[in-house]
Amino acid sequence: MEAIGALGLFGALAVIAIAAAAIGSATSQSRAAVAAFDALWRQPEAGGTIQTSLILTLAFMEALTLFVFLLIFMLSGTIAGAS
Amino acid sequence: MAGTDLLGNFAILATEPDARFWLGPIPVSDAVITMWVIMAVMILASLLLTRRLERIPASRGQALAEVVVEGLLGLVSQQMDGQRARRYVPLLGTVFLFILISNFSGMLPGAGMLPGFLPPTSVWGVTLGLAVVIAVSVQIFGIQTKGLAHFRHLFQPLFLAPIMFILGIVEELVRPFSLSVRLFANVYAGETLLSRLLESIPYGLPLLIMGLELILGAIQALIFTLLSTLYIASATAED
Repeated sequence: MEAIGALGLFGALAVIAIAAAAIGSATSQSRAAVAAFDALWRQPEAGGTIQTSLILTLAFMEALTLFVFLLIFMLSGTIAGAS
Repeated sequence: MAGTDLLGNFAILATEPDARFWLGPIPVSDAVITMWVIMAVMILASLLLTRRLERIPASRGQALAEVVVEGLLGLVSQQMDGQRARRYVPLLGTVFLFILISNFSGMLPGAGMLPGFLPPTSVWGVTLGLAVVIAVSVQIFGIQTKGLAHFRHLFQPLFLAPIMFILGIVEELVRPFSLSVRLFANVYAGETLLSRLLESIPYGLPLLIMGLELILGAIQALIFTLLSTLYIASATAED
């Protein structure tokens, strides 16, 4: 419990940052997925290309969220855990 | 909170502090040892599977090797034509297989706990090394294919040349960064999550997370290879 007091403002902002990144990532990824599903029912024979493009696009958005996660760790000074 | 020493934090992320032993002046850490094991496995497998090659595969080993190679060729051929694909598939295929095996090795019992066993891609230094190799190779392949005209895309709209030049350089420098961080962050986040989970809820949930990690590991290997293929394809496109 004392760890929460020690993290303080940085901890609160970190939580907000990651939550915001998660919201942004989820919203944009869902839009990309909807577009991919639309393309899929319109033209099922392009399934392989659509699948590959969808995975690629999702990975870009996921990477942005992970950048935030990584930045939090860099700023908090530790990567392997408590201190 | 040691938050302002960014270079020190980068050093913590990009390297490992513990060296198992030293080869002269060079520290050998856990990830390096695991990397050597993975290299040995890949080299041994490829040697054993290609011992007696025949036109029509008689052994299951050769058939398996052909499935793998054809899969990799198909992946690379989606972005570039067959002849170029054959030139660059050794590099891209090796990168894919190495990242795949390394990501999966995180699910083996003892990963991160046994001395000398740490999945290499969970260290930023390893993925940054891979990405730098790819970035340098892209430039080399571009110059091989088009000579110095490879750099023409930096000066395309002539009247905006200085801005486009700087933007082009920045984009080329950011590529290995984003490529490496994407892979590292995925693997590292998964490993950290697993190790924390195994401390607190050792039953049930870690199995689901491991399944998720298997899928994500394969996807990240695919993404890294696909993007590298795209970069090489765009750099060597004859137009």
